[in-house]
Amino acid sequence: MSTVSPEVVRRLEDEGSGAYVETFDETQERMVINMGPVHPSTHGVLRLLLELDGETVMECQPKIGYLHTGIEKECEDQSWRGAVVCVTRMDYLASFFEEQAYCMAVEQLLDLEVPARGQYIRTMISELNRISSHLVGFGTQGLDMGAMSAMFYGFREREVILDFFEMVSGLRMNYGYFVPGGVWEDLPDGWEDAVDSITHLMGYRIDEYEELLSENPVFLERTRGIGVITAGEINELACSGPIARASGIDWDIRRDMPYEAYGDVEFNVPVRTEGDVYARYKVRIDEMRETVKIVEQLRAKMPDGDFKNMDPKITHPPRTELNRSMEAVIHHFKLSTQGFSVPPGEVYCAVESPRGELGCYAVSDGGTSPYRVHVRDPSFANLQTLAPMARGGLVADLIASIASIDPIMGGVDR
Amino acid sequence: MPDDVTVTSAEWLDRARSLKQDGWWFSDLCGVDLLHSGARVATGEEDERFLVVAQFLNHKTKQRLMVHVPATGEPPTVASIVSVFPGAAFFERETYDLVGVVFEGHENLSRIMLPDEWEGHPLRKDYGVGKVEVQFVEQPLMQIQAPGQSPRGEEARQEVDRLGQSVVTEDGEGRPMSAADRRPRT
Repeated sequence: MSTVSPEVVRRLEDEGSGAYVETFDETQERMVINMGPVHPSTHGVLRLLLELDGETVMECQPKIGYLHTGIEKECEDQSWRGAVVCVTRMDYLASFFEEQAYCMAVEQLLDLEVPARGQYIRTMISELNRISSHLVGFGTQGLDMGAMSAMFYGFREREVILDFFEMVSGLRMNYGYFVPGGVWEDLPDGWEDAVDSITHLMGYRIDEYEELLSENPVFLERTRGIGVITAGEINELACSGPIARASGIDWDIRRDMPYEAYGDVEFNVPVRTEGDVYARYKVRIDEMRETVKIVEQLRAKMPDGDFKNMDPKITHPPRTELNRSMEAVIHHFKLSTQGFSVPPGEVYCAVESPRGELGCYAVSDGGTSPYRVHVRDPSFANLQTLAPMARGGLVADLIASIASIDPIMGGVDR
Repeated sequence: MPDDVTVTSAEWLDRARSLKQDGWWFSDLCGVDLLHSGARVATGEEDERFLVVAQFLNHKTKQRLMVHVPATGEPPTVASIVSVFPGAAFFERETYDLVGVVFEGHENLSRIMLPDEWEGHPLRKDYGVGKVEVQFVEQPLMQIQAPGQSPRGEEARQEVDRLGQSVVTEDGEGRPMSAADRRPRT
């Protein structure tokens, strides 16, 4: 995998990379231009160095780090419970998946069991989050191809789902709703109707999206056969998720290594073999349909019982207990002041986020705060596929490829 | 729990090759600073301060594999596996940037998250959280080099007053902008 040579980058940066960088090599008629980090179609602060021959992209090198906030370091300064609100800020469109991966890692270190209701709630909320995340992917894909209405429709339905998240967790983004041992609070009254209305709505709205884009000649022209990547390259570049499934790699952690409540539901994993922008778009649309089915099944099967592990060493005692039991007061005090400690060990837990394998590697030294938390963010790995996708295509096709990777810079830079 | 394997830095590249032949898919790589003894107990690595941890996944047998590679020497060094798994490129650069482990054989081992001039590696345990001064080197405001670009580039660097007019000094030239001028006016 060759990229723009390090010397060229070094020289350009030494000369000052203020607003933009340009060089023009007259012998080769090649131009190195800078794209981003402020560009409407780069989905955040993604910066690309492009080597162009006319309008053909010869090389493409992503330069990242503009949104680096040191979340992994910050986690080391929090309690095990408090680090949930740090990891949730990474991939801000699919926050629940980071919380889920992190909580599963902590539970594995603690050897803590999550009650069935807690697992079902987590799975259902994550799947709804998958729809809301794919809706942004759908909207921005359309927007970048000039179909602005796709953005409006995508965000319209996303709003309904975010309203549900607000009803459940109190927040529209960066929830901190999953905790080690289950979820922070039980589902509120009336959640059944809210979920039913979402699944009913999405059932026919997804058809409307397809009517809008899937057979639109302009959209097809700009996406079919564009940004093609083969299964071999996907495997080499550690790429996962819808991008891998659009290139014929039949792998989904939810189905192949079931975690939480995925073992109890039935669903298909959409796979296509073309490996182009259109295939990735189609895989996301089909995934939304499957997700609606999963949510309906979980809604029907939702068990009763505790929504989190009530071990007093891990979970705050119920408020009413504090008036009656001295022991509850002691537990409450210990948990509030220093949190629970986790036995020494290391663990890697992965979930299938809307962008691929989202893994959390956690090390505990036996203390009350994480020793090391590392999150393998799918956007970070998937971004490496941009260079092979862009090579040999036009600049306009590069825009389509970026949108089809659907990178979230909060997750890439962490 | 995934299986746990420790390999030395010298064996690492060969081990990666054989893992690839056996159908393992590279999934993750990160560095850990084992400065505190508790973490050495947790990971079972007693000798070296820095540890590189890689994760692999086998799609056929549906297994995960965790590989420990202790980084030896000063600066801590580990062989790069980018030639075997090109997808490791970003992960090795991130580990170099934040933990300071050098990957021998990596073509373009540069900082990926932080600016190139940054000193220190934030994920090391002796690097404090908060109250650390943010290091940024002043960059020129705008760089215009290619022929045919805006001839007004020089003016763009000059100070303007509240109404956007150039400030003219006694010698008739505009005063170049300084860092203080660039702060937003209130």
